[in-house]
Formats: sequence, C-alpha cells, structure tokens
Amino acid sequence: MPRSELLDLCKQAVSQGKSLGADLVEAFGQSVDSVSSTIEKHDMQISKSQQERAIGVRAFVGKRVGFASTNRVDRLDEACRDAVALAKISPEDPHNVLPDPSEVSPIADLYDPASADFTAAEAVQKATAILEETERTDGRVIVNDASFDVTIGNTAIANSLGLEAEQRGSLFLYWVFATARDGDRVSSFDFQFGATRQVDEIDVAKPVHRVCDNVLVSLEAEPGESFRGTVLLAPAAVADILVGALLFQLNARNALRGRTRWKDAIGESVAANSFSLVDDGRLAGGVATSAFDREGVPHQRLALIEEGRLASHIHNAYSAHGTGETNTGHAAGGAQSLPGIGPTNLAIAPGAQSSDALISEVDRGLIVQRYSGNVDPISGDFSGAVKAARLIEGGQLGRPVTGTLISGNVFDVLQRISGISKDRERIFGQTLPYVRLEDISVSA
Amino acid sequence: MLQLLESIAASSQTWIELRYHARRSKRLVVRNGLVEESSSAELTGVGVRAFVDGAFGFASTSDLTRDGIERAVDIAQSTAKASAAAKRKRIERLADADLARGTFPLETDDPLDAHSLEEKLALIQQLDAKVRESSPLIVSSEASYAEMVDEKVIVTSDGAAAVLHDAKPAVRVLAIAGRDGKQTRSLETLGITGGWSELLGAKSPDAMVENAVRHAVDQLDAAPATGGVFQVILDPELVGILAHEAIGHTVEADFVLGGAVTADKLNQRVASDLVTMCDFGGSVYGPNAVGLLPVDDEGVPNERTVIIEDGVLRAFLHNRETAAHYRVPPKGNARAYTYRDEPIIRMSNTYIEPGESTLEEMLAGIQDGYFLRGLGQSGQADSNAEFMFGVHEAWRVRDGKKAELVRGVTISGNAFDTLQSVDAVGDTFSWEYGAGFCGKGQPAKVDGGGPYVRCKLTVGGEQEGRDA
Repeated sequence: MPRSELLDLCKQAVSQGKSLGADLVEAFGQSVDSVSSTIEKHDMQISKSQQERAIGVRAFVGKRVGFASTNRVDRLDEACRDAVALAKISPEDPHNVLPDPSEVSPIADLYDPASADFTAAEAVQKATAILEETERTDGRVIVNDASFDVTIGNTAIANSLGLEAEQRGSLFLYWVFATARDGDRVSSFDFQFGATRQVDEIDVAKPVHRVCDNVLVSLEAEPGESFRGTVLLAPAAVADILVGALLFQLNARNALRGRTRWKDAIGESVAANSFSLVDDGRLAGGVATSAFDREGVPHQRLALIEEGRLASHIHNAYSAHGTGETNTGHAAGGAQSLPGIGPTNLAIAPGAQSSDALISEVDRGLIVQRYSGNVDPISGDFSGAVKAARLIEGGQLGRPVTGTLISGNVFDVLQRISGISKDRERIFGQTLPYVRLEDISVSA
Repeated sequence: MLQLLESIAASSQTWIELRYHARRSKRLVVRNGLVEESSSAELTGVGVRAFVDGAFGFASTSDLTRDGIERAVDIAQSTAKASAAAKRKRIERLADADLARGTFPLETDDPLDAHSLEEKLALIQQLDAKVRESSPLIVSSEASYAEMVDEKVIVTSDGAAAVLHDAKPAVRVLAIAGRDGKQTRSLETLGITGGWSELLGAKSPDAMVENAVRHAVDQLDAAPATGGVFQVILDPELVGILAHEAIGHTVEADFVLGGAVTADKLNQRVASDLVTMCDFGGSVYGPNAVGLLPVDDEGVPNERTVIIEDGVLRAFLHNRETAAHYRVPPKGNARAYTYRDEPIIRMSNTYIEPGESTLEEMLAGIQDGYFLRGLGQSGQADSNAEFMFGVHEAWRVRDGKKAELVRGVTISGNAFDTLQSVDAVGDTFSWEYGAGFCGKGQPAKVDGGGPYVRCKLTVGGEQEGRDA
C-alpha cells in the first residue's frame, strides 16, 4: 500500500483516540508485502505470498495506558475504543509518557526498488540455489528446511504531540537448517542464515557452506573430555552465551525493575579492558538499521561498554523517564505489540589477533561453534551442551566432540576474556568476533 | 463465512483449502505492582492453500470480501505452479480422510468473555502483590494473564466444512529473590483449553505463588549440582518435555523424511518395555490439556496416535501429504498458528502412559541420584534425539530419600537411550506443559505430560564431580 495511506491511518487513529477521551495517543502502522519459497525434506515444499497491514494504538488517559492492535482497517475505530477502555481500567504509572518529538532524518538504501519486481518464481529459484549449493558442497548433507524470503515493509508513526514519520525498507532473508547422515551416523542440526536489503548483495552460498562445515564436524564427533580451562567461542556461540545476558543487563527497563546487577554501574568495570560493545541503529547496510524507533525517536550510534566499563543502558521513553537517564531511541517492536526495549545493530569491537592466532596460543581447550543450554541473565550462570565443537591441542584444532557440556558464569567470564579476534561475522543484526574465555568447566 | 468459502471452493479448478481464522487476544502483565501491559489484539484473515501439479502454494489476506479471497486463491494457485516447476519429487496425492463437517464448539460452562478485564486484572494484581508479601527476600514480582479466543472455518474443495471455536487462557507467576548481590528466579505457569472456571480449577493460583516464592528463596542457599551420569526421577513436566521435544519432533513425518534418526526404526525397540508414548488431541487423563484439537487445519478429525507401544516405535505423526506417502490414514496433526501460516505437522498433547510404581517406590530404588522437577529456562533437542534441558528445581537423592536442593542442573543425553534406561513408571498423571508454545517456524499451543519416570541420564553441573 502507498506509504502516505499508512500514515493517514495512523493520523486517523490518533484523532479518533483523542475524540474518545484519551489525553495522548500514538498510532504505529506496518504494512508487509512478502513472497517466500521454502525447501523441506531436501525438496521444494511451498511458495507463499502475504499482504497485511496492522495498526497498533496506544492511548494514555492521564498516566494510565491501554494498547490495542488490529489487522483490519475497517475495525480501526474498535481498536481505538479498546485502547482507551483498557487505559481507563489500568492503574496510573508516573513513567507512562510519550517521547518529545524530534526531527527524524531519513536513511538511504533501506529500500531496494528492485525488490518490488521480485516474483514468486524468482524466490523459488533462489531457494533451489540453496539446495543445489548444498549438494555441490557435500552429498551427505540433507536440507531439512531452508527458505528464501523477500519482504517489503512500510512503517509509519503519528502521535498527538505532532510526531509524524514513515519509512520503507526491503529485506532479503535466507536461511538453511540441515543435518548430515552417513550410514547409521546422524549429525546434530545446524542453522545458518544471511540477510541483506539489496538484491545485488544476496549470497546464498555463504550460509550453506557454514552449515555444511558444522554438520560434517558433528558427524565425526566422539565423546569429549572433562577438564577446566580455555574455551574459544565462535561468533554464533558468543551470541548464544554472552549477548542475551548482556542485553538483559543493558536493558534499562530491567534495571528499573530491580532485576539487574548493572543498575548503578555506569562507569564501572563489567568486563575485561579488551571488551567494547556498541549499538548503531544507523549502520550502513545493517539489517536492523532504520531511521526511528518504535516510538518515533531517531536512531543513533551509542557506546554501551567502552574498554570494559559500562557506558550506557538502552532506553525507551518509559525507562528514560523512570531512571532520569537520556532516551537512547531503543523502543522496539511492531504494530501488534507495545513498545519494548531492544538493540539495533550490536557489535563487539574487534581485537588485534586473528581467530587462528587465538587458537595457536591454546595448549589444551575447546572451540565451540554453537551452544544449546541455559543462560540465566540475572545470576549469569550458564550450563549447556556444545555443538560442532572441537578440542584444541598444542595450538592445533583436534578431534570433534559430542556429548560435552560447558558451564560457568557470564559475568565472571567477561572479566576473564583472554582474547578477542579481529575477524568478525554478522549474525543478523549482530557483528561478533571469536571470544576466548579462561577457567571454564567442561564435562563430557 | 462458511457459505462464502464453500461457494469459492466449489468453483475452484484445482484442490484448495480455505481457512478463515479470527483471533482475539488479550494480555495483562503486572510487575512489582505496576501494570506493564494491558492490551488487546485482533488478527483476522483467510489463508488459502492450493495444490497444483503436485506442489503447494499459499496466500493470505485480511481482505474478507469475495473479491479479496478470490484474489488470494489466484495467487496461491500461481505460486503453487511456480513451486511445481522446481519440485523434484512431486506429491502424487493427498491422503483420503473422513473430512470434518459441522460445528465444533468449545466445551465450557464459563466462557472467558463472561469475565471482565477488570476481574482478570484484579486476579493478577493480587498474585503479583502476594509474591512480594510472601518473603522479605523477594526483590521483584510479576504476574500475567493471556488469552487467545479463536474462531475458524475450514473448507476444502474435497469436502471439509468445519466451524471451530476455541479458547486458551494462561497464567504465569514469576518470583525473583535476592540476597548479598545474588539473585534467583522462579517461574510457575498454567495454560489450558477452556474457560475461566476451568483455568482457576486446573491449578490453584495461590499455590503457584507459594511454589514460585519457595523455589526462588530456597535457590539462594542451594549448592551447585555435581555433574555425571545418574539415576534420576523426572516429574510429569520433564516427562512431557522429553516426550514432546526430544522424541516427538523426531517422529513428525516431515522431519522423518528429512533424515531424522527414527527414519528406519519403525517397529523396532527404541525404549524400555515400560514405555508407551502417545499424541492425542482429545481428552485423556484430564479434560483441559492445552493441545485439545477436535479437527486439524486440513479438516481431518484428530485421533490418538500410539507412537511407542511397550517400547516399540509404532507410528509417525502425519499430515495428508505424508500420510499418503506412508500409506496410513492421517490422524489430524496438521496445524497453522494464524491465518497467515500454512498447516504443518504438529503435535497436540504428547505423553507417556502411566505405569504401576508409586513415587515412594521409585525414590527407594535410588542410591545416589536426583529428583528433578520442571523445565528450567531453556531446552533444545535435535533430530538425532540428543537433548539438553535446563531443570527448574532439583534435589539430590541419597539412600532412597530426597536430600538437599541443588541449583544449575541441566540434563542431556540421547532421548532414546534415556527411554531405554527407564526402569520404573509412576502410577499418577498430569498435564504440565500448557503455558508455553512449541516453535517450528510457527508457534503452536501444545501440551505434554505423563507420570513420574525413573531413568538414567547425564546431569550437568560443576566439573569437580564424578564423570561418566
């Protein structure tokens, strides 16, 4: 649908909410036009098309808030009524505020016009390319699931303080979920994906090659060894073990709830000096890049941890009001949910050494591609199984292992980082290096 | 809507399936006395699946006019043709079934709509307050309520014409305890199919508060678990998780055809002869399991599937496509989460049948092991049936008696090896898995449960313990 029509619907909801007795109203609209093609059981499964638009209405009655969403434009009035009625039954909360409107400057290259011409037949062709590339790489690998999706999305926001903003983006997302089978041996699952906003940057071979590497390693795996020592986390394992707990601690809403140990830790050491973390909502080519957040606040580049010291939490309007800190523009979510708090494009700063050099310094250890287990973001305790893991012996990669668990505490290990690689990988919105940890419990 | 969909289906030149799905959801969240969310949502539309030249295409629309739905039919048919052009092994046919016709109401005397949002909000405000009042060590509390009320009309061009009504409410209570900079959390959940009185009758909300607070506070003093291979007792929730996550997914026929470890194990022994495991969308061992499903989204009435019978693998779970491939009747395991999703193979309520042992007898047989209750914060299982689950609450068992509480327990192993090691199955049963969702590309409401089960598996804990 035309962008202006979506913004008009938002403006209509704002005035409707006001006329129903709300003091403040925000309406967030999304429209989606997508085509996807899916591989299952190593064959073409189905192609799909979706068109939908949805509007989410947040009504404030004094400091009371209610929220309602609908995907039926003919029932927008009812959503406005629901939002106001829900606000009226909810108790007051002094931090229920809308952000002050600010100027939103558009970001180029979020939308590739070529995406509009992408047909179901082309999506089928790309999905088939995933299958064919897998077969070329190794005949033992079976594609359980894979998909190639193209989505054109419009977002628009209006509120009763005068904010109006809109943008259009395209996203090509492709992923592959595979196992390997060799006689009676069946490997673990592995999952890899790629994402880009530009047609000419689509590269389905890259996730295919990585998934093949990982499932073939796990096919050869034998039971591991128990020891306490060095574990080198590959970027996906960094995401699995460290990033979730970091984001929980950085989320100012959690701090406001009294759930985090980093509530009053701005300026304090939370990690080794070598560790720096940044979030950049305007990153060129980032899949999480957009001009404004779920509340219409402009995105920015923000240091979160600088040389091991906590530099900033991430905020939306509620948490900024509640803590008295600055709103960082991290309201997250879509039209069918209330604004939460979330990162955009998150990056751990690169180190000086290559991942190969980090391996070469380890006398005895374990390199872990993926992790499947618990991470308690409050206590920091983690314990779980490693996937596509290999022993490191005398600075060299050793045999693949299975049935191996690692455990430790995220906040302790952050202080015991002994190396960060200069090579990094983009995992959806995150740019992550290899991270070497010391004194980790490994049990087989 | 039924007449409109039947008329569109009747004029289609190819096989089509039309599914009108209207969902109204409500969600209330209270944290530390503050209302974090009071929201409602409507998600309504029609999903169309077409079967052309041996392949499927799917299109969804929220335009409910005849023109809008017919346009979606055209798109579904043309995307099916595009898929067919690339399909290597075209689907020969869909399995025949005695397709459902008629109306399938929700069985409840006390529909959710008869209770105001004020009443629902008051309940969770009380639960949230009780968590904080229960112990000075509680530093944060949360209670939430969520409901999904669905109306579906399922029509296929080969004869299904079913109208279904469904409602699934859920309550969660979270307690976080803290002392000396250390924090522990405990989440208690409840989810059912049914109305308001069935929800409150399924588990006492006050007991949920007591359990959450007790567990969060006790964890503050719990010692780390010792790792190694141990004899353990799994509670009904962990048995449900094991049945669903670790075994259930490996017998979904789409995964089987994709190379799951069960592919060539039909009619072979895969578990101890004490183990019989089933999936069933009807009422068994209790009336309100969250995966209740009279008719699936292909219009096939749900029937019980005995997956493992006395330790022998007997059946996979099917949709109409895989049932035709295996030449078995489909039993109604195809489901879509919203109108935007195409039906895929899903479990409903997955469980292990109860046996004959009492819990006391099962404990008495353990010299040195663990008693394990509930799923912790995460879990994952693989197509080779390897699993790793966090455990919510764990006690050491010594000389046949429950001993100290321990923390940070994970269990892992190969689910079939674990089931082979089962040497006692309890004589009670409960459904315990109802508040969450199963993820398989799309979410689904599923349940899992069973009796207590005694088996042997790897417990993850501190390294200084004994090793396997």
